[in-house]
Amino acid sequence: MEMDKLSVVTSFLHNIVVYNIPLLYGTAGEILVEKSGSLNLGVEGIMAVGAIFGYICGCYANSLLVGIAVAFLAGALCGLLFSVLTVTLQANQNITGLTLTTFGLGVYFFVGNGLKASGWPVMGNFSNIMAGFSNVAIPGLSKIPLLGHGLFNHNVLVYLGIAIAVAMWWYLNKTTPGLRLRAVGENPAAADSVGINVTWTKYLHICIGCGIMGIGGYYMGLNMSGSFNSNCWINGYGWIAVALVIFANWNPAMAILGTFVFGFFNTLRVSGSSLAAAFPSVLGFLGDIPTQLYQALPFIITAIVLVVTSIRSRKSSGLPAALGINYFREER
Amino acid sequence: MGMHIVKRENLPLWQKVCLYVGAVAAALLLGAVLLLAIGVDPIAYYNRMFTLGTVGNPIAYKVYANYLADLVPLVLTSLALSLAFKMKFWNIGGEGQFIMGALATAVVAIKLGGVLPTAVVLILMCLAAMVAAGIYGLIVAALKVKFGTNETLLTLMLNYVALYLLTYLMETKVPWNFLLDPTAVRPVPQSFDKMVKFPSIPLVGKFSLNVCVIFVVLIGLLIHVYLRRTKQGYEISVVGDSAGTARYAGMKVGPIVLRTVFLSACLIGLAAAFKVGSTGILSTTITEDVGWTGIIVAWLAQLNTWAIFLVSALVCVLHYGSTVAAATFAQVDSSFANMLQGVILFLVLAADFFTRFRVVMVKKGGSDHGNG
Repeated sequence: MEMDKLSVVTSFLHNIVVYNIPLLYGTAGEILVEKSGSLNLGVEGIMAVGAIFGYICGCYANSLLVGIAVAFLAGALCGLLFSVLTVTLQANQNITGLTLTTFGLGVYFFVGNGLKASGWPVMGNFSNIMAGFSNVAIPGLSKIPLLGHGLFNHNVLVYLGIAIAVAMWWYLNKTTPGLRLRAVGENPAAADSVGINVTWTKYLHICIGCGIMGIGGYYMGLNMSGSFNSNCWINGYGWIAVALVIFANWNPAMAILGTFVFGFFNTLRVSGSSLAAAFPSVLGFLGDIPTQLYQALPFIITAIVLVVTSIRSRKSSGLPAALGINYFREER
Repeated sequence: MGMHIVKRENLPLWQKVCLYVGAVAAALLLGAVLLLAIGVDPIAYYNRMFTLGTVGNPIAYKVYANYLADLVPLVLTSLALSLAFKMKFWNIGGEGQFIMGALATAVVAIKLGGVLPTAVVLILMCLAAMVAAGIYGLIVAALKVKFGTNETLLTLMLNYVALYLLTYLMETKVPWNFLLDPTAVRPVPQSFDKMVKFPSIPLVGKFSLNVCVIFVVLIGLLIHVYLRRTKQGYEISVVGDSAGTARYAGMKVGPIVLRTVFLSACLIGLAAAFKVGSTGILSTTITEDVGWTGIIVAWLAQLNTWAIFLVSALVCVLHYGSTVAAATFAQVDSSFANMLQGVILFLVLAADFFTRFRVVMVKKGGSDHGNG
């Protein structure tokens, strides 16, 4: 009986990670984009484009690596489109991003439904994908009671996501190119005057950031076992990622923590009733909380964070000062 | 030789129009290539799409009615958003404001429908929707004015808060929830179309016209006059050009922002009232994404009041037409409309660059135009 209760907790922890790592990909990617001073509201669409092309190509090549590479490329191409329009052609970032979402979801359903009519690749038939996406236990750590299976027994893409976030934190805070990137996001004119190539810096980081989002989308497709229906795989995660960037204060390391916090509520929505059943006296109330509250919580929390940080001094905020404003060189 | 990009003064209207028409044509051409690639005759497809399948259709009057029912909320929402956008206030909370308006409309309709005269209830529905949506927008404007809170991100968050509130009310079967049908076992929204509904004016044959269409045209006229002929409209354009200039000219920027965002959100609420008051039922998908599409329409129309009518009509044709065409052309998903709409906007955004800027060639080491 005790073992049963513990396993409920362990699988709850495990689910937090498994179902919410795509948020980390989306968030880390968007942090890189926003640090260059561009607000890209196309995360949802970019993840969808990465997901559909990554999944299809990965299956046909029967290789997880090909899937990841194609998802990254597809996302990066969306980033390139965004860069050409907003950086070179000075188009409005909000509008371009929103259009990218509409367009990306359109591509997702057009390609997906089109392929479904002629023969959808079923993930279970591709042994290398199945093997590649299966759990790899970290020796030692995964044997820790209660936490081990929950936190240290996951598929490769979970570890990759964490690694990307940590590497990005290091890149932004400890390296010269990272410093230059932040300078561009804070004050592009000043960065330009000290010889930083603003256009190139923006293009590069927007494309890489969007590529990372694409991998996140691919993960969601794999996690749904590749079953394609009228609900998009991304299912609003792109928008939660936009919120999570703010919650994490534009810090990729904080984004890992933020993913756990948002993921915790997200998972309670699904597993709340089983937790309530396992611990009726302590957690019984979980069964009574409406699931829509869990869905709304990331956005409520982020709205509060936005308001509170704007009331307090902006010194500690990681919000890039030039976020959302196009840089027109001739206007220096 | 090097390249130099210079801002240009106003491009003649006909050149602008040519650029935009060209962008739309190029997008349709790209779509045609894609259709050919998957083995669909593009002419037959576009024919079906742009006629909305009305040719030789005995119930064409229904198609027109449904088309107009989609068009009304889109036009009004786009008009409303254009007011805020003119001030460079990035209200992307149209979805949330629409939902708040829709909820208020349904509450009034269910509580007062059949109790008071229909005309009174309809007016109260509109007022309630405007107040609910207006306040939802005003909160953000107040925070923006007082603390400089980022309105783009905050309105975005509030969209989802409203959406899940609506979902909760539509899916939770409890005794106090009068928005659901009390006689049904499962959560089904309470319909009120028998009690209170916006009337339609009969035209020739079976064709009729929902009064909301007339209201929207009138509102468009009023907005045109408001923006062009009144002091308040003038203030909006000055604040949009530069808040600094507006302050220098002695305008109180804060109250202007509050007033305009409130008006913008009110009109979105009214759009919701028209929608809910015409369908007679609430649902979780009541917005049909007009809050998002409206942003794109307002921008495509360059925030011009009459262009918004035109662009909305086109976008509605794309969406409605692609759904109709999907019934005949099974291999073309109705999401084709979203792709087309995306491509059109990308091309217009690109074309827009050439209306605002000019690329000039300069000799290397020549005179510096940078600070000119």
